[in-house]
Amino acid sequence: MTTAEFGSHNWGMVVDVDKCIGCNACVIACQAENNIPINTQDRVERARSISWIRVERYWEGDFPDAKARFIPIMCQHCENAPCEPVCPVYATYHNSEGNNVQVYNRCVGTRYCANACPYIVRFFNYWEPVWPESLRNHLNPDVTVRSRGIMEKCSFCVHRIRRGSRQARSEGHEVVDGAIQTACSTACPTSALNFGNFNDPNSKVSKMKEDQRHYTLLDQFATDPNVIYLAKIDADKKVGAGEAATHG
Amino acid sequence: MQQRRQLDQVYTNRKLLNGQLDTPKWWLPTVSVLGVLVLIGVAVISVMINKGLGVTGLARPVYWGLFITTFVFWVGISHAGIMISAILRLTQAEWRRPVTRAAELLTVFSLLTALVFPLIHAGRPWRIAYWIMPYDISRGIYPNIRSPLIMDPVAISTYLTGSTLFLYIALLPDLGNLRDRTTGWKNALYTVLALGWRGNPRQWKMQTVGGILLSALMLPIFVSVHSIVSWDFAIASAVEGWHSTIFAPYFVIGAVHSGVSAVVTMMALMRWLWKWDDFIRPEHFDALARLLIVVATGWLGFTFLELTFALYGQDAPEIALREMQMFQWPWNMLFIIFFLTAYAIPVPMWLFKRVRTNIALMFWTSILVNVGMWLERFLIIVPGLARRTPFVYTWEAYRPSPVEWTIFIWSFCWVTFLMLLFSRFFPLVPLFEAKESQVFTDDVMIGRAKVPAIVREAD
Amino acid sequence: MASEAVAHESEHHAPPPQVDADVVARELIATTTGASGRFKVWTWGLGIVAIVGVVALILKFIDEGDDSTKWGYVAAMVSFLLSVAGGAPMVAMAPVMAKANWVRPVTRIASLFSFAGIATLIMLIPLVAILPPLVTEGARRRTIWYLAPDYSPHFWTTLGLVLLLITGVALFYSAALPDFASMRDHSTGWRQRLGKRLARGWVGTDVQWRTLRMRIGMFGTFYFLILVFVNFLISTDFGQSMVPGWRDAIFPMYHTVSGFQAGVAGVVIALYFSRKYMKLEKYVHLDAFWSLGRLLFALTLLWVYFFYSSFIVFWYGRSANDIATLDLLIRGEMMYVFIAGVVLIWFVPWWILIWNKVRRGTGAMVVGSFIILIGLLLDRIRTFVPAWSVPGDQIHEKWLKVIPEAYWPSVFDILIIAGGISMVAVIVMLMTRVIPVLSVWQVQEFNLLAKPIKYIRGHATLVAKPD
Repeated sequence: MTTAEFGSHNWGMVVDVDKCIGCNACVIACQAENNIPINTQDRVERARSISWIRVERYWEGDFPDAKARFIPIMCQHCENAPCEPVCPVYATYHNSEGNNVQVYNRCVGTRYCANACPYIVRFFNYWEPVWPESLRNHLNPDVTVRSRGIMEKCSFCVHRIRRGSRQARSEGHEVVDGAIQTACSTACPTSALNFGNFNDPNSKVSKMKEDQRHYTLLDQFATDPNVIYLAKIDADKKVGAGEAATHG
Repeated sequence: MQQRRQLDQVYTNRKLLNGQLDTPKWWLPTVSVLGVLVLIGVAVISVMINKGLGVTGLARPVYWGLFITTFVFWVGISHAGIMISAILRLTQAEWRRPVTRAAELLTVFSLLTALVFPLIHAGRPWRIAYWIMPYDISRGIYPNIRSPLIMDPVAISTYLTGSTLFLYIALLPDLGNLRDRTTGWKNALYTVLALGWRGNPRQWKMQTVGGILLSALMLPIFVSVHSIVSWDFAIASAVEGWHSTIFAPYFVIGAVHSGVSAVVTMMALMRWLWKWDDFIRPEHFDALARLLIVVATGWLGFTFLELTFALYGQDAPEIALREMQMFQWPWNMLFIIFFLTAYAIPVPMWLFKRVRTNIALMFWTSILVNVGMWLERFLIIVPGLARRTPFVYTWEAYRPSPVEWTIFIWSFCWVTFLMLLFSRFFPLVPLFEAKESQVFTDDVMIGRAKVPAIVREAD
Repeated sequence: MASEAVAHESEHHAPPPQVDADVVARELIATTTGASGRFKVWTWGLGIVAIVGVVALILKFIDEGDDSTKWGYVAAMVSFLLSVAGGAPMVAMAPVMAKANWVRPVTRIASLFSFAGIATLIMLIPLVAILPPLVTEGARRRTIWYLAPDYSPHFWTTLGLVLLLITGVALFYSAALPDFASMRDHSTGWRQRLGKRLARGWVGTDVQWRTLRMRIGMFGTFYFLILVFVNFLISTDFGQSMVPGWRDAIFPMYHTVSGFQAGVAGVVIALYFSRKYMKLEKYVHLDAFWSLGRLLFALTLLWVYFFYSSFIVFWYGRSANDIATLDLLIRGEMMYVFIAGVVLIWFVPWWILIWNKVRRGTGAMVVGSFIILIGLLLDRIRTFVPAWSVPGDQIHEKWLKVIPEAYWPSVFDILIIAGGISMVAVIVMLMTRVIPVLSVWQVQEFNLLAKPIKYIRGHATLVAKPD
């Protein structure tokens, strides 16, 4: 799927939709890991909540034969990302390891990237983030707390990638497959979320994405995402939930 | 037939300089009230910058709302100046003469206002100012010139510079005139501004050549400005209602439609407020309305193509978007108002000469056009974003907040305020153009008929 | 060319000579008779090429009538001929719109082009038969005909072109009435009889003049509307909707504007030759070339603006649709044709027409016009040929998955192209034998309304603008 060649790493994710049970553990893990402001009721109602990863739920069929389908959606880290060329200040760009990264420091908050993104995975900080006193010390020191007026989105836990690469280098070897995991993939109880290096042909994700069930979201935009989905296996039907989601 | 009478030059001078030499009574109270309103607006903007964009009504997925709409609206209005002064100058339309100054002025002030909106709508406006301009290059990071948001300030600031020069060059003879009729500090001011204008043949030649050169140079900029503004939207392939190849000319012709209408509004006001019945005559409204009929009909054709090709692909999200835009409350009401005010009411009215030469009717129809054109931009931008595509999980979350409405109203007060301030110090109808049009128009007898004629100099 | 421009410089600054109305009528009507030997040779030659083209068209239909992928060049020809023959009469509409005086002598030659619409119709006939149906294997392709019956594109396009021809001829005829009357009064032989028949009792009363002006305005408006409509249909049904994923809202407008461009270029060429070989220097002033040159220059810029507006949105959009469309139309095998088209329609003419000196002369203007027409033909080829080369089983997809190979012209195609162009030329040339190439009454009016005056220290013209 991914076309661009990078150095030794091209980080990506394979999401096996068949394994997703919709437990939202990934969402909570992400929230805790990445210092995401608390989505209060008011913010959710005003459609200003922030969730770098979300589990979308679809109903298939009518009651009583209704089936719940789940699909986790996070930034797709597109190779041909619509959000990148529109940013006037290069706050979002493609790094040398295949990730679409957001530089908070540089962002001025034009929100153009959010308009351009077809997956709706970019979020704007309308207010200065606040945490209750009791949670102040729970913030992750590795992750920047974003001030108001800037965009944020899933970073593939870039701080974990950095730490893992640094550690491997200091120990004098390549990054071992599976050594670096994102918060969501660690938290996933069914291993539906799998993180790894697409440039290593022997990595777990490289093998998984060869599965004939693989597809990407919204291929009509030709975004060439680094997140590959594996379709739901349904005994009754030929196409899975992912197919339905793709074509809306 | 033109209703024209010979005006002597002394009368022209006295009449057209009445704003500067003897200020009308209404001027000071009006300007004071507007000044207070402007200050209130500035205060609201300051509060918004201080508190954050949470005070607006923006919410996912509508990240752009009233501010960007109003930005596009004012950029659109700014197209009046070059349309009237440059294009009509190059096509040698005689009737443009008394209108030029007002149109150029509108260009400059509406651009100044338009520029405010992208700045204040950003999350961190204090950074945008020096990060979009390639000032801080010590970091080795240039602005992203692929982004239309970079092309925008470049185009708009070029347009603003050009328009200001254009305005200034046309102002020179009048400044010389004012210098000779004032005393004290005003005389000193006009002396400096007039740049030693004496009105000798060489200066006139330079002034004319400068004007023609600037007209030709400004034309591409004029087209590029609104094209680039339209590409802010058109290049986003993920937003169905925006990704259309027709947007550039569609926006430009819409801008001319609203800009020229704004000039009509302004002319009517000038005629009433300063009692310039001898200079701004029904025949000028007639000519502008004829131009507007052509422009508006062209614009309608573009609207038709835009809609046709939106549905052309027969894609579900696109059809859903159009259904929302045209048939769902409250968009359907806005859409009907938009269509009625931007085309269906004014243009059929303009077909009658009695309407075209009736100043009150022209005033109100031109205001209608601008209501419609503002709604057009709103209907493109907001429903386009509040779209119902796969993976959008909140819809129609946007309601403009009072803060946004206040800033919207502020922009109108601000432009009017600047305009009136200008009128206190500089003439709104160019004196030399008014006199030149006396020389360049004539009547000839052809057979038994008396026909208006104009003088064409050899090229 | 330079020497000619210099030679005419003094003439340009001098006021146009006033010619007596009777002399105008006599001299202009005399141009219809007494064709030179060279004229006859050219007419015969071009006529034969035109007939060969029609034969080639019939043979191609018999031979390849079942394979739509091979008909791109004929589609390009339809579009090209529509642009030239359909766009030119729009120049005849300008005085009604803008009250411009320079255009008056030019209107006749422009409206003669509407007869050349016959060539467009001939080319369209086989194409309508071959146009793929709206519904393939149960799937409807992207078109403007959402729920309309399947025959809609075939039917409406044909009807539109026929209406265009009829309205064009009606526009020509309504403006030609006074001239037929002049022929009745001044000509001899069959031309006099024809003038008598067609003048329909024209004596020039006030009522007749009022009706004449009303008719010109009415047919002119109709003509404009139908022209835009036909351009819209040809460019969408015979271009865009042949390519899955090509969704270009500006393309009909682009097609129309380049049609006007081609029309003005055609008028410049026809005006140049008739002025030169029929000795009409007295009536066709350089003023007309100057103004046509400015118009052509403006349309050239408009072409590049419309092209760029559509290109940039595809280029930036980068969705699957956009990529496939660019790959097919611009980046594919047609790339060099595309580049040549852009250079010839825009870049070269731009650099030619930008000089005042060129627009004051005639030679370089006509070269520029020829270049524009060649460029336009190439541009039509690079859009319509790849569009028609999409195989029928892919035509209803959402976007093009496999870019088809380019189809290069066969001998038939080359003969058809040569034949179509010759046919337009022949029709216009033959029409100049029937009616004066410059409108007698409009040349008279031109002289009446423009009066040379002394103005301060130079020459100027006092132009009357009747309401």
